[in-house]
Amino acid sequence: MDERKLQLFAPVILILTIITSISITIMLYLQKTNIIMIVLSCILSATLITLLIIFRLIHKVFFTNNIRKILSVVDNFKKGIFVQPSNEIKGNDLLSKMYGELLIASRHLDNIIKSQKNEIDKFRELYNNMMFSMNAYIMALDFNNKIIFTNELFLNKFQLSPSEVNGKNLSDIFYFLTGTVLQAIEEIKSTHESIILEKAHLISHNRISIIADIKLSFMISNNEPQIIMVMDDVTSKTKRDYQISLITRLSETIQKDDALDHILRTILTAVTSGTGLGFNRAMLFLRDDKNNILYGRMSVGPDTLDEAFSIWSSLNPLKGKEILSRGINGDDVHGRLLKEKVESTSFDLNEDTIFTQTLQSGETIHITDALHDQRVNDEIKNFIDVNEFVIVPLIALNKIIGILIADNKFNQMPITQDSVDLLTVFAYQAALSIETYNNLELLKKEMEKIRHRQEAIVESEKLAAIGRIASHIAHEIRNPLVTVGGYSRRILQTANAQQIDIQKIKKAAQIIMTETERLEKILANVMDFTRPSPFLLRFNNINEIIDDTASLLSNLFQERRVELSLQLQEVPLIKSDFNQMKQVMLNLLQNALDATPPYGIVEVKTYSDDKKVYIEVSDTGSGIVEEDIYRIFEPFYTTKTTGVGLGLAIVKKIISDHNGDIKVINKERGAVFTISIPLP
Amino acid sequence: MKKILIVEDEQHQRELYAMELQEEGYEVDQATNGKEAVDKVKANKYDCVILDIRMPEMDGIEALGKILSRDKKVPIIIYTAYSNYKSNFMTWTADAYITKSSNLKELKDKIKELVSTRS
Repeated sequence: MDERKLQLFAPVILILTIITSISITIMLYLQKTNIIMIVLSCILSATLITLLIIFRLIHKVFFTNNIRKILSVVDNFKKGIFVQPSNEIKGNDLLSKMYGELLIASRHLDNIIKSQKNEIDKFRELYNNMMFSMNAYIMALDFNNKIIFTNELFLNKFQLSPSEVNGKNLSDIFYFLTGTVLQAIEEIKSTHESIILEKAHLISHNRISIIADIKLSFMISNNEPQIIMVMDDVTSKTKRDYQISLITRLSETIQKDDALDHILRTILTAVTSGTGLGFNRAMLFLRDDKNNILYGRMSVGPDTLDEAFSIWSSLNPLKGKEILSRGINGDDVHGRLLKEKVESTSFDLNEDTIFTQTLQSGETIHITDALHDQRVNDEIKNFIDVNEFVIVPLIALNKIIGILIADNKFNQMPITQDSVDLLTVFAYQAALSIETYNNLELLKKEMEKIRHRQEAIVESEKLAAIGRIASHIAHEIRNPLVTVGGYSRRILQTANAQQIDIQKIKKAAQIIMTETERLEKILANVMDFTRPSPFLLRFNNINEIIDDTASLLSNLFQERRVELSLQLQEVPLIKSDFNQMKQVMLNLLQNALDATPPYGIVEVKTYSDDKKVYIEVSDTGSGIVEEDIYRIFEPFYTTKTTGVGLGLAIVKKIISDHNGDIKVINKERGAVFTISIPLP
Repeated sequence: MKKILIVEDEQHQRELYAMELQEEGYEVDQATNGKEAVDKVKANKYDCVILDIRMPEMDGIEALGKILSRDKKVPIIIYTAYSNYKSNFMTWTADAYITKSSNLKELKDKIKELVSTRS
């Protein structure tokens, strides 16, 4: 039945019923009634009322059902069920239409949800795959630092079971965490911003250590705030980088620094610097064969766990520079007790201990359980005071000069082969440095000795030279003085005897004059040598100088019947002082002439190469006596009967002033002087 | 008359000694270098030889040896401007070593002494 018709029908019946009721009432009032009319009216009213009641009932049944259906659809919606039963409501009324629309919307929603669920499923699968294949340790913490979740990789790495981890505090699992990790956790609690930490160091209570890049993110799960830590294990990469950087830095330091203490401290610091890479403590012992002991030379490492934490927290393991500069300063406040202990300890080299064994064999000894190891004697046990340590020999050029002892006293981490290898590298460097330093010291001492000896030789040579100079000057001056004095005396004698012979006096005076002039010449010569003369460097042709000098001496050569032969090649101009070079040629030619007997030859040659111009003066004299050949350029050294012995010394000085060189050799007959002057 | 050989390359000095010694009453012979001196000693007999050290051709020290090998007894006075050769052991074989001076008194005294002991 149509709802709209039903709705129209109801008021019509109602009005009819009311009209009927009113008509009955009026008729009764007018008393114009007959029984038939009343009966008819009553029947009519009763019929109408019955109809009304029936209609209400039909209406009620019909509507309630439809609304119930709609409500059930909505109920299903609430439950997330969108696919409805297929029994549709037929009809054109509003309820049916509404129901129809609801069903269409329901199908739409169902489709949307199905496709979204599909997407989510796919994403979840991808996510799971990613999580599973990710090589990272994952940990979720609540705001009380309690561990909510860790991935399997984490558990495997730290050798823990879920029950040992879940619900535990971070500090129950980790024995050491780089300070920045805890800071970051606190920070993220207030800011909720992700934080990335590089190369943080974590050590678990069961001594498993990692260096990781950590990403911390904030998340809310089940209405609870959480911190997710994704840790990317970079231990081995960092270790490698670190070792390389340390070794590089170390060799740089060693090359630059010659103070042994600095180098050794740098090495020991390097060995102990990385929190998870190196050792906690390192001790250097050197052998002293003179006293037959192995003595503590140096140590680096904290004295207490607190010190250890403060060192580790303040250092970034990859900043080698920082670490090494700390080492170089050497004013570390940490490890005073260890330093005192090590530097006051020595071991007898005669005793058979693991230390002396390492010294003899050159083998590394790794003690893992000192308490029960028969090889470790009580003295060493007490000294080291740690159960695991390693002894590495310092081998320098096949000589074992000491040992390096290292341990992990404070974090108790097992010593890995990696660490031992690193220690070996550093021990090698240390040994080389020590050996180099010792050799250098030895060399310095020897050099010092040689220098002293040289000084003594130079001193005695100087004295000898002064002696020679004095003797020559004395000789040269005494001769004319004797003559001058002698003749003066004679003049005086004749004057006293009053037998004045003018001729004799004249002759004596003449001699005195000559000898005085000679004295003056000697003085001038000496002064020439000592007085710095003005030096005028011009471009000169050396051949011109030689020609000039040769013509000056040509008469003298003729007189002595010595041939002067000039063989002058074209040579480049040289920067020289014309007059001084003339003096050189004059002295050399004069010497050559003096050395050459009559009918001999004095030869002058010039030639050049791309660097120098050469002048060669040779004679056919008797040459130079072997023992004199090194001394002929010395001032006041002479083999001639006259002259002060300055000629060749002056030559040498002038040539040196020209940055040149002069050499002399004996040839078959006579001597050859060769001058070389560099081209400008 | 005692005969003295003066061996000296410096002409003025040589002549001075000669004049002075002649005035002292000696017969004087002269040589200008060691070689000449050795030749003269070979040819003549002298009562004293006055020998300079630095001379051309042959120096006094070489001449000293040669003269002595020829005539072991002839007194030789080394008379030189060098004062440092006195310690040279070769000169020890001479009878005297006198450093030259413009005053010839020391030389004359020594000649007198040597010549008189010889006779």
